[in-house]
Amino acid sequence: MVLRWRCSPLLLLSLLLQSFVSADHSFENTAVVRTVEVAGSLVQVTTTFAVKALEGDASEYTIALGEREHERTSWLEAKIKGQAAILPLFEGGYDPEIGVHFYTVALPHAMKINETANLVVETVETHATYPWPEQASQKDPQSLKYETDLFVVSPYKTLVERIKFRTPTPNIHSYTNPPGLDDFTVEIPVTKSGATITYGPFNNIPITSAKEFLDAKQEHVAVHYAYDSPLVEVMKLKRSAEISHWGANLNIEDTFHLRNAGPALKGHFSRLEHQSTMFYGRPPPHVLPSLTVQLPAGIHSPYYYDLIGNVSTSHLRTSPSQGKNGRSQPSLLELRPRYPLMGGWNYTFTLGWDSPLADYSSYEKATGKYIVGIPLMTMIPGAVVDEAEINIILPEAATDVDYYPPFVPTESGITTHVTYLDTVGRPAIVLRYGRLTHKHAGVIYVTYKVPVTAHLKKPLAVATAFMGLFALGFLAKRLDISIQKK
Amino acid sequence: MPFAYQLPSDVSPATVANTSSLLRIIALALISGAAIASRLFAVINFESIIHEFDPWFNYRATKVIAEKGFYEFWNWFDPTAWYPLGRVVGGTIYPGLMATSGVIYSLLHAINLPVDIRNICVLLAPGFSALTAWSTYMFTKELKDESAGLLAAVFIGIVPGYISRSVAGSYDNEAIAIFLLMFTFFCWIKALKIGSAFYGSLAALFYFYMVAAWGGYAFITNMIPLHAFALILMGRFSSRLYVAYSSWYAIGTLSSMQVPFVGFQPVRTSEHMAALGVFGLLQIIAFAELVRTHVSSKQFQSLLYASVVGMGITGALAIIGLTYKGWIAPWTGRFYSLWDTGYAKKYIPIIASVSEHQPTAWPSFFMDLQLLIFLFPAGVIMCFRQLRDEHVFVIIYAVVASYFAGVMVRLMLTLTPVVCVTAAVAFSSLLDTYIDPAEPDVLEDDSNTGQDAPTSGTSTAVSTSSPAPSLKKAKKAAAAAPPAGPLDGLVSTVTAAVSSSKKAGKPRGVFGLDTRIAVLINALGMLFFFVMHCTYVTSTAYSSPSVVLASTNPDGSQHIIDDFREAYYWLRQNTPETAVVMSWWDYGYQIAGMADRPTLVDNNTWNNTHIATVGKAMSSSEEVAYPILRKHDVDYVLIIFGGLLGYSGDDINKFLWMVRIAQGVWPDEIQEPNYFTPKGEYRVDEAASSTMKNSLMYKMSYYRFAELFGGNQAVDRVRGQQMPKVGPTLDYLDEAFTSENWIVRIYQVKKDDPLGRDLKTANAFAQGKKRKRSKPQVRRKAVS
Repeated sequence: MVLRWRCSPLLLLSLLLQSFVSADHSFENTAVVRTVEVAGSLVQVTTTFAVKALEGDASEYTIALGEREHERTSWLEAKIKGQAAILPLFEGGYDPEIGVHFYTVALPHAMKINETANLVVETVETHATYPWPEQASQKDPQSLKYETDLFVVSPYKTLVERIKFRTPTPNIHSYTNPPGLDDFTVEIPVTKSGATITYGPFNNIPITSAKEFLDAKQEHVAVHYAYDSPLVEVMKLKRSAEISHWGANLNIEDTFHLRNAGPALKGHFSRLEHQSTMFYGRPPPHVLPSLTVQLPAGIHSPYYYDLIGNVSTSHLRTSPSQGKNGRSQPSLLELRPRYPLMGGWNYTFTLGWDSPLADYSSYEKATGKYIVGIPLMTMIPGAVVDEAEINIILPEAATDVDYYPPFVPTESGITTHVTYLDTVGRPAIVLRYGRLTHKHAGVIYVTYKVPVTAHLKKPLAVATAFMGLFALGFLAKRLDISIQKK
Repeated sequence: MPFAYQLPSDVSPATVANTSSLLRIIALALISGAAIASRLFAVINFESIIHEFDPWFNYRATKVIAEKGFYEFWNWFDPTAWYPLGRVVGGTIYPGLMATSGVIYSLLHAINLPVDIRNICVLLAPGFSALTAWSTYMFTKELKDESAGLLAAVFIGIVPGYISRSVAGSYDNEAIAIFLLMFTFFCWIKALKIGSAFYGSLAALFYFYMVAAWGGYAFITNMIPLHAFALILMGRFSSRLYVAYSSWYAIGTLSSMQVPFVGFQPVRTSEHMAALGVFGLLQIIAFAELVRTHVSSKQFQSLLYASVVGMGITGALAIIGLTYKGWIAPWTGRFYSLWDTGYAKKYIPIIASVSEHQPTAWPSFFMDLQLLIFLFPAGVIMCFRQLRDEHVFVIIYAVVASYFAGVMVRLMLTLTPVVCVTAAVAFSSLLDTYIDPAEPDVLEDDSNTGQDAPTSGTSTAVSTSSPAPSLKKAKKAAAAAPPAGPLDGLVSTVTAAVSSSKKAGKPRGVFGLDTRIAVLINALGMLFFFVMHCTYVTSTAYSSPSVVLASTNPDGSQHIIDDFREAYYWLRQNTPETAVVMSWWDYGYQIAGMADRPTLVDNNTWNNTHIATVGKAMSSSEEVAYPILRKHDVDYVLIIFGGLLGYSGDDINKFLWMVRIAQGVWPDEIQEPNYFTPKGEYRVDEAASSTMKNSLMYKMSYYRFAELFGGNQAVDRVRGQQMPKVGPTLDYLDEAFTSENWIVRIYQVKKDDPLGRDLKTANAFAQGKKRKRSKPQVRRKAVS
């Protein structure tokens, strides 16, 4: 699985120059604290490295991800603690023997010997939890299991390490207490307090990205906990954004393929039970009766339909694009699928709306270019988008098309899209992504030029067509095709 | 000559002609607009959705044309319908409707207008209604004049009798068929009028289109020969008739045989024999006429007439003989049910079970036609005044269509155009009379006594007689000839009145502006109320998609009850694509269209046995039904249940038809009387018969229904009956899905028990019930 990371083009270049990085000994972790916030589809892992430079002029710190971690991670970001700036990050290679992926973080400045820094690495893991038991009847609660490797993989030695698992509720059914932990600690290796399970502190951990350690000492732990909201997954998201200069309109249409990834429904769906649990206000946690989605401000004429027509069960509360004191609040859409989504059930639907183009675009006089910022996706809270395709359709005959996605897509290109009375068709930008999370909700910037003649193309074409029709009618009326003249 | 009001005199005739033609075009455009707009209630109140049942199939077939092209559609074998038999769709439908939409779709896409195929289908009927208005205008114009034509166009544009079949979303064959019907008839009378082979061929072309579009083409197939035959009998045979009929019949029949579903029927079935017979008769007569022009002997002529009659009789006998021999198929059941309204109920319950095949109730004539039904006879009588060939046609059409409309609700549709045409003729005559500014010659009136003048004024063609003078006349007449009886007196009074006014030779006409205005305002008022009525009926009665139900929230806003689509969409999204769904045939097309799953039976009711099998499964007990379900690979059973909401069109109300149809095939196993209480009532509560209570349909409908009421008395709101506290249990089926308002309930058929037990025992075991030991006891008895 390819990771997405923030990275400037300049550093991409340096990526190519970067040689294979294995454990070098320029750093030491004085303390590592990893906090895993286990939840539904998304698991947020925050690891804080207290780093001490052992050599001078050390400017690149290497972080490592184990095979399973790497597969799950869809977002990776490194910062210096307390600073907002995101550090540049680039791929550092893969060691197939031990199954570890390396990434290199460029520190803001080269560190002197014994200088320390606190590095915060945030990752978001998707599909990391699974429902356990795998089936639940309508009245059953929902429980999830999260399994992971315990020790933080790092190419440096670690003095103190602590790993915390934080669950959404204190209701934790079980957690692993592996016997091999006593090697690194003299205290009780695992403690649970409230919704937090703490492993460690462990002392004097050797380089964990080494084969000896991974084979012999790495521990496998699992947390089994109750989770009270439904597990939503968007298997496919197709967004098409159409820019119209004539209508000063930006139309965005999303097609979702939604799935309730919670425990599969055991037996059958009983409306009676569903109605009684809803009536008493205790809907089971794995049922998804409705969704609340945030849409941009200032939108109008929304529509919500599926393969067989309009779905009438939705409410939209729009907010003006210019709210109080210049800040705008998002519009809120409460949408109810046609049927309550039980575990394992699918639902596809299409959501679209119009919004004033002025809210998204600007015109640069110097270059004569339009700049339009298209939001990358509509967030469904807590959901992961497995596959996303984004089409941006520009006005007809737009030239000099450039686009700047917030992060690198898996596939991208420009095609031609022909619609409403077009003569030459419109350039369309196609971007594909995989496994998007709430962290990825960025803006795609598109710049293009539209000459004045292009604006007039359509009215001229239509006028010509009508003139042709009238001319034909004129001819037909005047033409005498009778054989016998009267 | 005096005028009631001044006409402008300084206008050239060319200006008048141009202005009136411009006004006509504007009027027709406005009429088209009104016709389309009044059909959009369904889209505005609900959404752009396909209505009812049959349209869903048409829509599905159209999607195949749009996506895969015409040839693929032509050879389309649908394995998901009539599982496991499948259906050769290309050869069992009238493709005209789908082809029309397909052509419109490709045209729009060719000019880069990506209109959704669904929207084309939804808006096809309103679009064609505008064309119908235009063709009715053309038809009526031939009959009377342009103003009558415009009135007819207005009438057909908004009359509920036609709107009922052509609202937006009602994507059925009738949507385009009425236009084709009217246009074919227009071409026919035009061809007949001028003896044009061109118009005859045009009529044939549109006849072909009609054949490709609607099974009701047989109406044209018999109307035109009937008209021709009537003309011959009236001694109106002419070369014009010969040319028109021959060109229509030859081209029309040959082209109609190109439609696969029709095939050789035009020469093999009884419905088409009238056309063939008249065609033959015309040839004989034409030959006879030819001979007559060359031979002048009177004796030869009589011989010729005898031979003509003889040949006609031989031809008719030949047709009867061929029918008897089986070369020509006899009348089909649907046609028999047109002659005998009780026929279908007795022999073909499937036809009788459809509500639109029932005889028409009287109020529906008023509801569908309002004012027009009163003008209709007047218009027909006015046709007798001129009685040209086309008037004969309208008279025949009126008589035949009136009969059919009385027999079947559905055929109201064929009556509607002729009612509009004749009503327009009557109404425009009325308007003509009273708008005409010419006053009768007053000079002559002055010479008469003052008493007689108003009398002559009132006894015009339009019967508005003032009672006072006629009374006086009656007295006079009575004095002249004392009556023998009261009836004779009346007769003589009338004759005296008529003769005296005729004798006087006084001019007829309308006097004064006030008379005119009084009548015209009343006439316009009638039209106004007609428009009100049409709008009201259209919006309330005919614009419901029936897939979606509407109710109101407590705050007055509209609440949509969308149970059907909820369940269909659930099926579509959460069951395997090959899961076979069994339901009553009404829902077959909807399941195929919306849920996209194979069905056992659907609205194309071609296989009675298959439908009866479903009826048997629904009306038998679980033990009997289960093997049937398993043999047909049924995975899900879908039923409609309205008991919670009070939705009366549900399966329990249709249940007796299932029983009857099943009984037709298995009279030994299913008997209708068993489903009634001993008193002969149809009940579902505690008092229901045990056969009823054990039937699969009953069990599926009321499964866990009583529990919903939480210990209170459960009530079925459709039947208004109180349900037993303990509801039925199911052993062979599982509840799979129930929609929000319980309208649609879907059950999954259990697979065979893995341990080989029968499912009832397995269920009892799972619930911890002890197995009844019956066999050992028997054995013990045998030993002792």
